[in-house]
Amino acid sequence: MTGEKPKRSVRILGGREVPVIVMPRLPGKGPHVARSAISLLKGMRLTGSYFRPSKVVTRQYPENRKTLKLPERFRARLKLIDDAGGHHKCTGCKLCQKACPNDSIRVLTRKGPVTQKNELDRYIWRQDSCIVCNACVQACPFGALEMTGDFESAVYDRRLLIHTLNRYAGPPASVLDQAAEAEREKMMEPRDAYGGPTPMNGQAMPEVPPLLAAPPGDGEGAPSAGKPDNKEGADS
Amino acid sequence: MTEIAHAGIGKAASSYAVWTVADRAGGLLEQHAWLSAGYIVVAMAAILGMIAVLGVVLIYLERKVSAHFQCRLGPMRVGPHGIFQTVADTLKLFLKEDTVPVGADSLLHLLAPFLSVAAVALILCVLPYSPNLQIADVNIGVLFVGAVSGLGVMGILVGGWSSNSKWSLIGAMRGAAQIVSYEVSATLALLVVVLLSGTLSLSGIVQSQEAGWWIWRAPGVGLLAFVMFIISSSAEINRTPFDIAEGESELAAGFHTEYSGLRFAFFFLAEFINMFIVSALAATLFLGGWMPFHIGGLEGFNGVMDLVPPGAWFFAKTAAMIFLFMWFRWTFPRLRIDQLMRLEWKVLLPVGLVNLVVTAAMVLLGLYFFPVG
Repeated sequence: MTGEKPKRSVRILGGREVPVIVMPRLPGKGPHVARSAISLLKGMRLTGSYFRPSKVVTRQYPENRKTLKLPERFRARLKLIDDAGGHHKCTGCKLCQKACPNDSIRVLTRKGPVTQKNELDRYIWRQDSCIVCNACVQACPFGALEMTGDFESAVYDRRLLIHTLNRYAGPPASVLDQAAEAEREKMMEPRDAYGGPTPMNGQAMPEVPPLLAAPPGDGEGAPSAGKPDNKEGADS
Repeated sequence: MTEIAHAGIGKAASSYAVWTVADRAGGLLEQHAWLSAGYIVVAMAAILGMIAVLGVVLIYLERKVSAHFQCRLGPMRVGPHGIFQTVADTLKLFLKEDTVPVGADSLLHLLAPFLSVAAVALILCVLPYSPNLQIADVNIGVLFVGAVSGLGVMGILVGGWSSNSKWSLIGAMRGAAQIVSYEVSATLALLVVVLLSGTLSLSGIVQSQEAGWWIWRAPGVGLLAFVMFIISSSAEINRTPFDIAEGESELAAGFHTEYSGLRFAFFFLAEFINMFIVSALAATLFLGGWMPFHIGGLEGFNGVMDLVPPGAWFFAKTAAMIFLFMWFRWTFPRLRIDQLMRLEWKVLLPVGLVNLVVTAAMVLLGLYFFPVG
């Protein structure tokens, strides 16, 4: 009986030949009624096993805020991974920018003042258009990116959703670790989260006051960063 | 014949005296007619209050039990563990606009929900909650219950017809066909208990179970009748696995598609109170009603059981039955309409008839456990 498959057949119903599918009997011994009843009882035992407080998976979110633990793979916010010394691993290769399906990432690079090589200036992530697909994390050959579970990102001003993820403009940790202590200071230049060239993708909002005063010394090492008119995002 | 019926059943040999509200009112009628009328008013108010409270409590329970069967918590926000959620929902329904479809029979459209609730209220009047708590012990109690629950079908049919919507009408027809079909085997199951106890009075049936509940006191037939009653009554109250008339995951709402606001609330209320009634009937007829659980010979154990008041026994048994119905809902898949009708007319009805005949033979031969007298 077990392993038997449903069979096609023809039956005469109401004087007409009707194609039917004949189902095999339920597996097991004994009369059909008894087996069906046992099957129903098995189902009740299964559902009954869920009926206890320890099985509840619901979490009472605002109440459990302090003890809330999200699954490791929960994705909410993009982050540049910092190593022990607080240095990012981004080389500014822009593979993540290419992988992004809706242009939510813009990697601005500059020529390093010390190394004279291409390095990260600003890593701009538009959280307002990001679909949290993880493609950037998978595209990164240096493992510089990760998705974190920090999901409480509601803000009152949309411009606050456009972040600069890196805390300094400069080469990645691998370069910095090899450089001399004195050189390191010159290589790195601080970057704040919201001082980038693309507030609202370059749109100025007349009624809305600027979020931050223009950061001092921002335009110094990066010609593309300081002035809102001259930016990579404007051509789209 | 009557001697045989009396000999085995011992319906007179009960140590519990039943004293209903109707008895009290009747006793006072001669001297204090006003007091007697007061009893009736209190009884009416109590039934209305009971409908309201039961509705709110049962809907809350349904939501909580459903939630926990699905590993959820259910309502948690309004009040501690959401106990005021249904109160809030009821208030919302009171405030909603009362829409009547164009072309509806406005009188019948208004009448239908009240027919359903009236049927429910009439049955609540005859249920024995405890020896001292019963509105009226009708001497044809089981017959009365069967007849009045037919009135609920009228509510469904009238509601579907007066809505002037073909979907409501189809839903009503399906519902009515299902309820009328399953009432047959539900009544056959009830008749088994009537045969065994020799009385139609619900209090009398409870008293007849002092030596043991009918579910096991009558070997086999009691259990079979109980199972049949559970199956057919869950079809009668339109609950899963027999809720094709208004299967919420497949159809809109069946007969009450065109109802909103308070009128819808009344249908909803009637549905939930019907679940209580069916559970209470199962508890009364098969599980001893308000009779405590006794084991013959164990005097100490029986004494402890007697400490629990009879009303608590009744409500505990009813609650267990209600939980069983909710458990069914989250376990069993819904039947198709042809499967539904086949189950009733080809399985339950013949089995019920045979069961009844076997029970009759058993009563004649005195073949049941714990005979009294």
